Amino acid sequence: MGAVLELEDLRIDYRTAAGDARAVDGVSFSVDAGEYLGLVGESGCGKSTIAKAILGILPPNARVAGGSMRYRDRELVGLAPARMRELRWKEIALVPQSAMNGFDPVYTVQAQLDEAIVAHASMRPQERRARLEQLFAMVGLEARRLEDYPHQFSGGMRQRAMIAMAMVLDPGLVVADEPTTGLDVIVQDQILQRIRRIHVEQRKTMLLITHDMAVVAENCDRIVVMYAGQVMESGREAVFREPFHPYTLALCNAFPDLDDRDRELISIPGVPPSLLDPPPGCRFAPRCPFATERCRVETPAPVVVGPDHVAACHHVGRADEFRRLARDPSTWRERVDAA
Amino acid sequence: MAGFRRYLIRRLLLLGFVLWCILTIMFALFQLLPGDPTSMFVDSNFSQEMIERQKQLWGLADPVWLQYLRYLRNMLLFDFGQSFFQNEPVREIMVDKMVNTTLMIVPALIVSVIAGTIVGAVAGWRRGGPFERLTVGTSLFLHSAPSFVVGILALMVFSYQLQWLPPGGMVSLGGPESAWEMLVSRDFWTHLALPCLVLVSREITGPILLLRSSMLEVKGSDFLDILRAKGLPERAIVVHATRNALLPLVTYIAVMTAMLFQGQVLLEIIFSWPGVGRELVQALNDLDYPVAQAALYVMALVTLLLNLVADLLYGVIDPRVTYE
Amino acid sequence: MAGTGSGPALAPPTQVRALGPWRAAAAQARTTLRILAADRSAVVGMVVIGAFVLVALLAPWIAPYGPFEVAYASDGGVARLSPPSASNPFGTTNQGMDVFSQLVWGTRVALLVGLVSAIGSVIIGTLIGLVAGYFGGWTDDVLMRLTDVAFGIPFLPFAMVVISISRPSLPLIIVLVVFFLWRTTARVIRAQVLSLKERPFVWAARAAGASDFKILFRHVAPNALPLSFLYVAIGVQTAVMLEAGLSFLGFGDPQVQSWGIMLNAAFRAGAMRSAWWWVLPPALALSAFVMAVFMISRAYEEVLNPRLRKA
Repeated sequence: MGAVLELEDLRIDYRTAAGDARAVDGVSFSVDAGEYLGLVGESGCGKSTIAKAILGILPPNARVAGGSMRYRDRELVGLAPARMRELRWKEIALVPQSAMNGFDPVYTVQAQLDEAIVAHASMRPQERRARLEQLFAMVGLEARRLEDYPHQFSGGMRQRAMIAMAMVLDPGLVVADEPTTGLDVIVQDQILQRIRRIHVEQRKTMLLITHDMAVVAENCDRIVVMYAGQVMESGREAVFREPFHPYTLALCNAFPDLDDRDRELISIPGVPPSLLDPPPGCRFAPRCPFATERCRVETPAPVVVGPDHVAACHHVGRADEFRRLARDPSTWRERVDAA
Repeated sequence: MAGFRRYLIRRLLLLGFVLWCILTIMFALFQLLPGDPTSMFVDSNFSQEMIERQKQLWGLADPVWLQYLRYLRNMLLFDFGQSFFQNEPVREIMVDKMVNTTLMIVPALIVSVIAGTIVGAVAGWRRGGPFERLTVGTSLFLHSAPSFVVGILALMVFSYQLQWLPPGGMVSLGGPESAWEMLVSRDFWTHLALPCLVLVSREITGPILLLRSSMLEVKGSDFLDILRAKGLPERAIVVHATRNALLPLVTYIAVMTAMLFQGQVLLEIIFSWPGVGRELVQALNDLDYPVAQAALYVMALVTLLLNLVADLLYGVIDPRVTYE
Repeated sequence: MAGTGSGPALAPPTQVRALGPWRAAAAQARTTLRILAADRSAVVGMVVIGAFVLVALLAPWIAPYGPFEVAYASDGGVARLSPPSASNPFGTTNQGMDVFSQLVWGTRVALLVGLVSAIGSVIIGTLIGLVAGYFGGWTDDVLMRLTDVAFGIPFLPFAMVVISISRPSLPLIIVLVVFFLWRTTARVIRAQVLSLKERPFVWAARAAGASDFKILFRHVAPNALPLSFLYVAIGVQTAVMLEAGLSFLGFGDPQVQSWGIMLNAAFRAGAMRSAWWWVLPPALALSAFVMAVFMISRAYEEVLNPRLRKA
């Protein structure tokens, strides 16, 4: 049971007209075999960039500035394009955002799933067809829809077809990048349940990328919280039950809690920092209600706060106090006035 | 595909309607001619027997509305009467000239569309590169230059000055006669080269520019990322992108074919190519009305049919199109 | 109907305001000129056209001879087919007429035909497009069938027949060109109106009780106008080419000296073989004029549809 995916001090830059923006700044985490990891954070925190980097489909103006990404001990950074192509889909597959139209509109869905198989394996047409039907059954789609075109599918169905396509070569790692954005809540739930079922039944190693804390809480075994290109906290269920990092606290606040329906939804005031010129010290300090002088000057190193639970904060000792204060909306509002 | 059938019927009806309008306009025009309307169809050169035959065919003794109906019937049945100048039924002449025109247009169109698509797709894919800049610049230049001017200049340079190619005509005197013989004779191809080249130089720019801009739009599509993630080689991805970029080209072909006959007439005159366009010009000069009418009708009919085909083709190529 | 018509796909203008639409249009005009000035080829085009306009306006003073005036050589004889010389910078025709003068007079014809036809056809086409697109239903059907018929007729053959039947004259040619040009403008304007019709500001105007005509001309039309201007530019180019084509084939107005007529005379006299100085000037003038207008209209098209702009 080794690590299927290991990221170590990964740094990724985007070249812009105004200079280099470091979208991912020293991120490290690993996903073990059979694990379901959730990578959570606001838009722009770098999580989608990581997904693209793993698949090797970063846009031309992005580059890996340093660090390492290893899939089953194979280094992905700097891998020759031909080798990378072999790995793609066969070993590492992507379920993209549902808002994306991941299917080519002028080819049938079957043709596109076939294409994925043919690019990496040799199967006879009957075998391919059998496999596709099996996959469609797995995601709850009728086999006869295979001959349809993507525009004939509803949003939810299209996303299920994308999941089937990701599974077509039985990859070692499935990366799901915001697979439910743009879908209505009922369909979101169905999709996530299906993904979870695949994870359980086939013991698939999965990396789920989302901005929704509640989703991660429901589905994932482990969680990594990212902010402004850095990891703030990571661990197992303890991250929800006993969060240590103020940002994690804020994320937990931002989503409704069925048990505590009267609890006021608190959003975090302010915006993430510019990645072109990030502030010194802790990235979250400008928005953190508990920040001190030290936070603004010294970047916090990750601190072990429990078994398999790490947080990057200078004040992990005051976590109990923070948790209590975080529940009070006025804590967050003060921050705005002071800012 | 019930929707398609209904659409097809509607389009055919529309085509019929437009054709009827055109024929009616033509009939009205010819009726407006000062003097005896029979001079439209009958020439003093004709033998008495021929005069009678034409009078019968066109109902020249009948009231106008009956003539109109006969006229419509004749046109639809491609029964054009007898040429004043050439001692032949107009229909034979038309067939002959249409074949010649086709021999010039079809190779040019095929080359323009295929080569233009490939060049345009590559130019769009390699945006910002030297190939794209060169392609776009040259295409814009050739696209805007009036084709008959290019034809004249080409003739002057390549034919008269350099004497590389014959100065016009379809085949040399005493050369091959039938279409099949011509296709395999070198003589024909040397005569075809220049007019075809001029035509291509103009027509190829449309697909190039269109495919390029279409490809630029497609390049921003999400599904391309997924194709890359699936581990497909660059070549396969370009093919996917091109298939999507092709869609506007089909509409454009409709426009292209509609304009084709304009340039065709001019080029046929410049290169003395014995096609339908040149026939029309000569017939008008000779006051050979049956031939002129027939030539105009044939050109209009072909234009309409090509438009229809392009329209229908669009639905075949783009699976998202539905017919309400 | 799938895949009909031609013309660029356009994003609706961004400055859409119900109040003071004409002021908004003026502001847009200024922006447009600024963007055009930045495009090198458009600037070249405008300079070239400017030069032609100057030549046309100053023709009586620039051209040493009248359009049909015969030039005499120093020995008193008619100067036929003489190559370029000091007295005749572009040489003479086979009838002894000065090519340079003809070229200058021809500029007037080109501009006249181009502008009148283009403006006329765009006015008609825009009106038809506006009415058809806005009122829809029966009106739309009838007008669109009319446009379909217009699309089905190949221009040059038809024009030749009509001219043969009557007499070749410039007004007739202009009328024919207008008849040919309005169809594209009509279709494109109609498509634009159809999309504008659904915009909130139209609903608002209707809710405020504005009459149909008021909405059409005060609100919808100003937003469709930029498109019309584009088609004026395209129309000038097409009109000049069509007149040249018709004249070249021998159907032009013999009382006028246009570039097409010059080419026709040269072609018939076999000048392509012997007198290049007679062929090249009108050929190049025609090309330069048409290409210049094309550059301008292309740059303008990029103004209207920002997606076309280069990276």
